[in-house]
Parts: sequence; C-alpha cells; structure tokens
Amino acid sequence: MSERPVHEHIRELSEVLVQLSEKVLQNFDDALAAVKNQDEEGARRIRHADLEIDLAEVGLEERCLAFLALQQPVARDLRTIVTIMKINDDLERIGDLAVHIIERMPEIKPDMLQMFDFERMGHLAADMTRKSIEAFISKDRFLADKVCSLDEEIDAIHSSVFKRVAHLMKDPDSDVDQLISLLSISRYIERMADHATRIAHEVTYLVTGEIVRHNDVSYEKLVQSLKD
Amino acid sequence: MQTTVEEKETSMQTPAKTATRDIYLPSERKSVAGGGTPHVVAKDFSIFYGDFEAVKKVNADILSKYVTAIIGPSGCGKSTFLRAINRMNDLIPSCHTTGTLRFDGEDIYGKLTDEVLLRKKIGMVFQKPNPFPKSIFDNIAYGPRLHGMTDKKHLMEIVEKSLRKAALWDEVSDRLDKNALGLSGGQQQRLCVARTLAVEPEILLLDEPTSALDPKATAKIEDLIQELRGSYTIMIVTHNMQQASRVSDYTMFFYEGTLVEHATTPQLFTNPKDRMTEDYITGRFS
Repeated sequence: MSERPVHEHIRELSEVLVQLSEKVLQNFDDALAAVKNQDEEGARRIRHADLEIDLAEVGLEERCLAFLALQQPVARDLRTIVTIMKINDDLERIGDLAVHIIERMPEIKPDMLQMFDFERMGHLAADMTRKSIEAFISKDRFLADKVCSLDEEIDAIHSSVFKRVAHLMKDPDSDVDQLISLLSISRYIERMADHATRIAHEVTYLVTGEIVRHNDVSYEKLVQSLKD
Repeated sequence: MQTTVEEKETSMQTPAKTATRDIYLPSERKSVAGGGTPHVVAKDFSIFYGDFEAVKKVNADILSKYVTAIIGPSGCGKSTFLRAINRMNDLIPSCHTTGTLRFDGEDIYGKLTDEVLLRKKIGMVFQKPNPFPKSIFDNIAYGPRLHGMTDKKHLMEIVEKSLRKAALWDEVSDRLDKNALGLSGGQQQRLCVARTLAVEPEILLLDEPTSALDPKATAKIEDLIQELRGSYTIMIVTHNMQQASRVSDYTMFFYEGTLVEHATTPQLFTNPKDRMTEDYITGRFS
C-alpha cells in the first residue's frame, strides 16, 4: 500500500525536525569553539543562527498545530505529532543554551577554560542529543534508553566542575566572576544533556505510548540536580 | 493484519476499570455515579445469516450508564451486533445466534424473553430519522399509549419530559400538534430520541444516528448523547471516528465479525493494543 498523503505529511514534519536538530547541534558545537577561541565573529554568527532556529521552531510548531486541527490524527500518528512538537521545544531550548554559552565569553580567559574538560563534556552532550534524534528517526526505544543512561556521566562531570569551582573560590585572590561563568557553562552543557534525556523519553512515548519521564531514577536525579 | 492469539486474548478482555497506569477519561467525562456495572454481557456470542457467521464469538461487557462506540469497516458486523441487543435481527428469517447475550443478567435470546418488553427497555434510533406521519405529540405518546397509558395529563408530562431530555422542547413546545414530518432532519432525529426515551428505556442503541445530518444537527445529537450519558447506557455505531472519540467512554473495534479490541476511548485512540485497530483508525488499512 503506497503512503497516504497524510502520512507523507507526517514524514515531512519529521524531516523538518531532524534538519532543525542538525542546525541546533552545529550551533552548540560552534558556541563551545567560539568561547575556546574567543571568536567574536563566531559569536555573532551563533546569535544569528539562533534567530533562525527560533523562527524554524515556531514554523514547525505552527505546521504541527495545523496538522492536529485539520487531520485530527490518532494513535501512532497522534503520538508522532505530539512527539515532534515536544522535541521541537527541547531543540529550541538547546539553541538558547548555545547563546547563553557565548554570553559568558567576555568573562572567561582561555587559560582558565583549559582547566576544565568542557570539550569532552560538550561532545558527550551533543552525542546524547544526536543519539536521541537517531532514536526518533528509527523509533528505537533501546537507543532512547541508552541515551538516558548516558546522562549520569554528564552529571558526574558537572558535579566535579562544581566542586572544583567551589574549591577555587575559597582562594581570596580568585576571580569569582570568571569562576561563576565557568560553572555556568558547565551548567548549560549539563542542561543540554537533560534536554537530550527528555527527547529520549519522548521517543519512548512515541514507541510505547507510555509516558515514562516521571517513572525512573534518572528523573529523580534530574530533579535533584535542579535542586542542587 | 494477523494478530497473535495472545494479543487477541488481551485486547478482547473487557477493559479494566482501573488499569495499572490509569487512562483518564477527559475531564468533561467524569466517572458516572452508580455506573460501570456490566449491563449487557456477551459470552461467545455469534450471529449467523444462514451459514455466514457475521459476528464471531464476541466476549464483552458493556458497562452501564457509559457511552460505548462501535467502529469498524463496512460489513464488519457492528450494526448486526447492535441490532442483536434488542433483537431487531429477529425480523431477518435466516438470522440465528449462538452463545449468550445477557441484559441485566437475563438471556436476551431466552425462550421466555418478551421482545416487546425488551425493546421497551432497550430503545433504538436509526440512521435515517423515521418519525411517524403524526403530530409531534402523538409521536412521543405513541410508545406509552402502546404500553397502556391513557391518562392525558400523564401523557403530556411524559411528552414534555421526553422532549426536554432530547433537547427539543424549546424548539417545538408551541407546535406539538403539528406534523412531525415538518421538522428539520436534525429535529426529527432528536424527536426519535425523545420517542425512545418516552417509554423509559435503560439502554439506547444508536445506529449511525448522525450520518444523514448536517454538522450543526450532528453537534446537537452529540451534545444530547453527553447529556444522556450517566442516565442511560448508550451504544452508538458510527463510521465517523472523530465522533466516536468525541462522544464515547469506551470503544469496540470490529473487523470481519471479530471484536478485535475493546478499550477506553482515550486508550484506543492514543495507544491501541492491536495492530489492526491502529491501522484502521490511522487510515493505514489495506
């Protein structure tokens, strides 16, 4: 049976989401590189790209809302559209985090940045996001579960950054503003991983119909990390 | 299109009232006080037209005072199953049944069952409005008169009460003596509902009640179903899946005479357990 127009439409919306995720991930990588290299021009491009991401996010949401109103999808189709809308929201927030990172750039000296392994942390968070989108594309709940399990490593790195910053702050000659900015960058990367985990949860809903985000230990950890 | 035996056994169970993870009915469809007990119970119930098994060994509990929608492609047996509940199929000579179908514990096809009394308790409204060529008053009073009611004052009370319940009183109260055929299609259908309510049934069977109506009249019938929900057990056969999802608490999906899935409507329309149900409601049916 050939694909019906309504299902082609859902596939198109899925493809738009995947394209958005590629833009968001590129912008996040660029943001970390810009801070590392103190690249003002790169920072300007990132801000501009984030405006495009915002517009794309609104555009995709409008298309999903129109689809809901006009096609009244049910079952798998309904879950797919709802999942696209939720992932769309998470991607836009990851886009904002990239901008938050470059906003910290003026306060950070490259030599201090090298004291922390943000490159690895950023790579891990981006990898989680990429995998969560792959899980969406292939409707792979096991890959989604794997993404959730990766969040612990990011949390551990963030926790070690926190402890190190706290230790450095005890020095009366420490540059507190810079240390807070460094801690913020760690926090932004950790938040990105949280969004990747949310995307993975949304994929689990898409595949199983079960809302799992408040079920597991990782959610408890997320709540705890927000409290911390 | 094949489902495993295990899937079928699961999906054909009567839906649990409280699942491990609750599927909430929408807020406007709150639990019905005193409802939820099995009102109609089918056990291995089959319906045959001659040798042809049109409905195959259905096992289901229809819960009292809730709205149950029956969906499925043409010829799947949904209307046959509905009509079996008040023995409308008796009018078809070759039609016979096996298994049991009980209403309030009584065997609908038992030898001692009085079909006229049964149809008083289980009323039916059809696809095409079919008012009698009589006055609005006489249409509503027809049933009570048939059951021996002669007191004019009491009949008037019944007519008003039934028309009010069917949300038609305000539109026709000043012309009760006018011919019912002068009403619009939507009004005629609500008149048919009122006529059914006049004999105080417990169950309302609606066989595609809005398929001949325009969207406005359809909306009024759907609103009426919501009004009557909680007072009557309602079963509605519909080809319109949006209608099934809007008005019902439970949905049964039939395919080729088999009850494939019977679940709460939110469950069935968001996460059906059976692949066949999924394919049908999302239009992937080949």
